[in-house]
Amino acid sequence: MLFMKKNWYTVDAGMACKWFLILFSLLCFEAHALPSYARQTGMDCAGCHVGAYGPQLTPAGIRFKIGGYTDSDGQEGKVPLSAMVVGSRTHTQVDQAPAPGIRANNNTKMDEASVFLAGRWTQNVGSFIQVTYDGVAKTSALDHMDIRYARPVELNGKESIIGVSVNNNPGVQDPFNTMPVWGFPYVSSPVGFGTGGAASLINGGLEHRVTGASAYVFYDDALYGEFGTYRSLSSAAQTKLGLGPVADTNQRLGGNAYWRLGWFKDYKAQSFHLGMFGWNANLQEDKTTPDPRNKYRDLGVDGNYQFLGTREHVATLGGSYIREHKTDGTTNLVSTVDEYKLNASYHYNQTWGMGAGVFANKALDAVGADAGTRGYLWQLDWTPWGKEGHSAPAPWSAANLRLGAQYWVYSKFNGNTANARDQNTLYIFAWTSF
Amino acid sequence: MSGQSKKHWISVLGALVFVCGATAHVQAQPVGDAQKGASLFATHCAECHSMKEGKHKKGPALFSILGTKAGQQAGYAYSEAMKSSNVTWTAEALGRYVTSPKGFIPGGKMKYDGMENPGERADLLAYLSSQGK
Repeated sequence: MLFMKKNWYTVDAGMACKWFLILFSLLCFEAHALPSYARQTGMDCAGCHVGAYGPQLTPAGIRFKIGGYTDSDGQEGKVPLSAMVVGSRTHTQVDQAPAPGIRANNNTKMDEASVFLAGRWTQNVGSFIQVTYDGVAKTSALDHMDIRYARPVELNGKESIIGVSVNNNPGVQDPFNTMPVWGFPYVSSPVGFGTGGAASLINGGLEHRVTGASAYVFYDDALYGEFGTYRSLSSAAQTKLGLGPVADTNQRLGGNAYWRLGWFKDYKAQSFHLGMFGWNANLQEDKTTPDPRNKYRDLGVDGNYQFLGTREHVATLGGSYIREHKTDGTTNLVSTVDEYKLNASYHYNQTWGMGAGVFANKALDAVGADAGTRGYLWQLDWTPWGKEGHSAPAPWSAANLRLGAQYWVYSKFNGNTANARDQNTLYIFAWTSF
Repeated sequence: MSGQSKKHWISVLGALVFVCGATAHVQAQPVGDAQKGASLFATHCAECHSMKEGKHKKGPALFSILGTKAGQQAGYAYSEAMKSSNVTWTAEALGRYVTSPKGFIPGGKMKYDGMENPGERADLLAYLSSQGK
């Protein structure tokens, strides 16, 4: 445990006071408002989330999201507000070049603090809207947004749900657990290296800088289909929403189509999902230049299996593959990105968890140079509350907490295999929601 | 065939008829195993129902449910169909409801397709009836 020796307890007093004040203020907030979805439905976190903590959804959680976040226990007057704070300690194998707000190593950070408008607005309308303070960049911005209308219908004699989502990130509306927005790992270091610099457009390329709408149908509790389109927010709107300097707001999305097909089966003691998704988009990278639009063709397949049993032992296996084919609008040269992910998890008593995942990105430019990243990670976590009979002490009985540790191991980083292990990262986190 | 042999075969036939009859009776009204029922409750019901008295989730608490009138627990917003069903939750009524919730009470709001296996239903009912005693 050499990596934990240095400076582990050297958080300065000012930082400690700031953390205390933030946590105290949120705890006080919670004294008057429980986590909104749990409060709305009367269900425990474990009812909708694997391991009693978000975001990995159980079949009940999948249905709740498809149903427009509107299911409830029938009692009115619930305030749809929640909050979340993540704090962490990050150690990398080799010191990194310091950056504003980031030390060379052993960074202790409040990763983020979020406030959510999340819950039922009317019988058919609900939302998941997140505003986040980034504890590293020290900025606040609109984070994920998904406002949806859904209602039950009978199609061909089968109970079904139809709905519309207005959202700001292709995939944020997806109810399954394997697309990039909500895929494993569900939390990661803000000063770590993630899955490297190369990523497909559908993997967060325009997240929060677009707004769009998609219509979906969930037929007979089994077949899921969705189709939608997006447009870029104006530079002024992006700036007002806290999305960075003007130079980062110059992308302009042209014609595009997002789609999703899925087959879901819930056998109560186990469930599985198989699906395909895609985003075809024409994108002008900088609208202040006369450059033409580049063509992105992203296509993905994904699957997820959950053994749920009596919920004492819960195991999951999930994976996805995304292929991006990009044609440069100026040169007509083609580049590609291939992203692979496979992950598994196990939770005992919805409290003690372990997970592991492998990831591999292959990013070939027009001359065949690879800027991809490859590696694996494991995670151990402890979630003491969030299930019936195990709540946080009063008056914060609906608050939840996850303490965990991740270790990332790289065998290739941004195309470089020689020094990839320099990026190996230990991430210890405390993740709490109110 | 001797008279003794005849008597022997009549006895065997009688025993078979008795055993078959008894088995048919068991199949019609199987005796449930409450321990297995607890596991079934955890798998099928516990996300939306609690066995704690007065703890309502998306569905009402099921503590001591047998013998009560449907749709009458305080603090839970039942559908109109459930409130006006005039059902008393006997073991037979609960069994029929668990088999096909919307078939038994059309217009009810429980989102559950039903438990088809009679043995499992018997186990679940055995568990439900063991709670609140």
